[in-house]
Amino acid sequence: MTHSLHREGTIDSLERDYALFIYPARGFNYKGCAPKVRRLVEIVYQAGPVNMIATTLRHNLYSGVRPEEVLDSIKEGSRVFSVFNNREGIKEALKGFKAADEGISIVVSGLIDRVREIALEIGLDPHTINISLGVHGGTDRLPPPDIRQFTTMCGHGMVSPLLVRDVIRRINSGKISSWDGSLVLAKPCACGIYNPHRSAELLEELTPLYTVARR
Amino acid sequence: MIIYKEVCVGCGRCQPYCPAGAIAFEDMKSVVEQDACYECGNCLRVAICPVDAIHDSPQVYQYPRALRKYFSDPCATHAVTGIEGRGTEESKTNDVTERCGPGEFGVAIEVGRPTLGMGLADIQRITRALARSGITEIEPQNPIHSMIADPATGDLKVEMLNERVLSAIIELQVTPERLPDVLRTIKAVANEVDSVFTLDVFTTLEPGLTIPRKLLDIVEAEGFTWRPNAKINMGLGRASD
Repeated sequence: MTHSLHREGTIDSLERDYALFIYPARGFNYKGCAPKVRRLVEIVYQAGPVNMIATTLRHNLYSGVRPEEVLDSIKEGSRVFSVFNNREGIKEALKGFKAADEGISIVVSGLIDRVREIALEIGLDPHTINISLGVHGGTDRLPPPDIRQFTTMCGHGMVSPLLVRDVIRRINSGKISSWDGSLVLAKPCACGIYNPHRSAELLEELTPLYTVARR
Repeated sequence: MIIYKEVCVGCGRCQPYCPAGAIAFEDMKSVVEQDACYECGNCLRVAICPVDAIHDSPQVYQYPRALRKYFSDPCATHAVTGIEGRGTEESKTNDVTERCGPGEFGVAIEVGRPTLGMGLADIQRITRALARSGITEIEPQNPIHSMIADPATGDLKVEMLNERVLSAIIELQVTPERLPDVLRTIKAVANEVDSVFTLDVFTTLEPGLTIPRKLLDIVEAEGFTWRPNAKINMGLGRASD
């Protein structure tokens, strides 16, 4: 999860990418939190997320879990992670959370300026910020930034650069569409914050620029 | 992970899913290179194998190889350290826990990410550098804390050093006065690390999602820049237990 703040891409692309975490605090508000988390998840559904996972299931909406299964799986201490592809959606969810006042920690990963605007508009006063100071060490060994835009969308690093290249190759050879390729990439994400809509847009932009051979 | 050769049909579908790039063809069958494998379980979890040839290796929970699974598989909990996950709740529940209070700073160094993975010897390179600089405030709730054999030197338990994992996080809580030393030490050790690491800092906000100027001044003075996107705790939590 730490890596939701290291998502890479252009500002224009990141404008359509907001990860949202519902996070009970171990030892502080676990007792009786299940109905509260369930209510918050209902609010998320009403706001229209583009992906979601509950820690009880470890499969996201593109790896075989139905939305109602997420709700049914929630128990004491369950955390739920989701992602929105537009500012209005994340704002609606936060408005609902404020009104519900369930007392569970809520974290948003996104452009600082946008989150600040939204917080001011709905009267929230954020508490803590986690800022990325970048990548260090042997950075010359990393895959190119174009590929990292996809791999960094999984907060646990489960989307392999090899899979991104494989999907680009399959789209370029006419075997799958950009949307279907995006769903292939979303499937391994075990934190439910891979944004398939943003990913499809990126594939549309990038696949004509790449020739990727099978290794 | 292990792929049973007698079952594998050599379709190669599993290979691109491996974050370690540890699956390759051998005699027309897919084989997991055991040294490179993180035991993250991704190849099994995506259920891509048409003949069910992929399984957990029988040795996956044997210490110290079990560390690979605990630090790489997002679905695993730390049986060895007794602590769940690669790190802690850090900033995510700080509105409730107040672990990082006003005027304090948290630092997280996630080694191996993005993408490259790392040997635990890389963690030791950083914990040793921190110890040499007199920085020993490693978060006690973080799994790394219990893996350190000697806090004075930053040495890890020796049997762990050959294990390879997708990533691990070193977390620190420091005062503003200590942060420049920490950032300087991390910058200096970056050249010694045989992988990559991400660096992040967290702190409580001033009203209106205003980042404390003191933090930004320190970050700038030490030659770092920060990204325009961040992880923000929205301040909606409260303790009820």
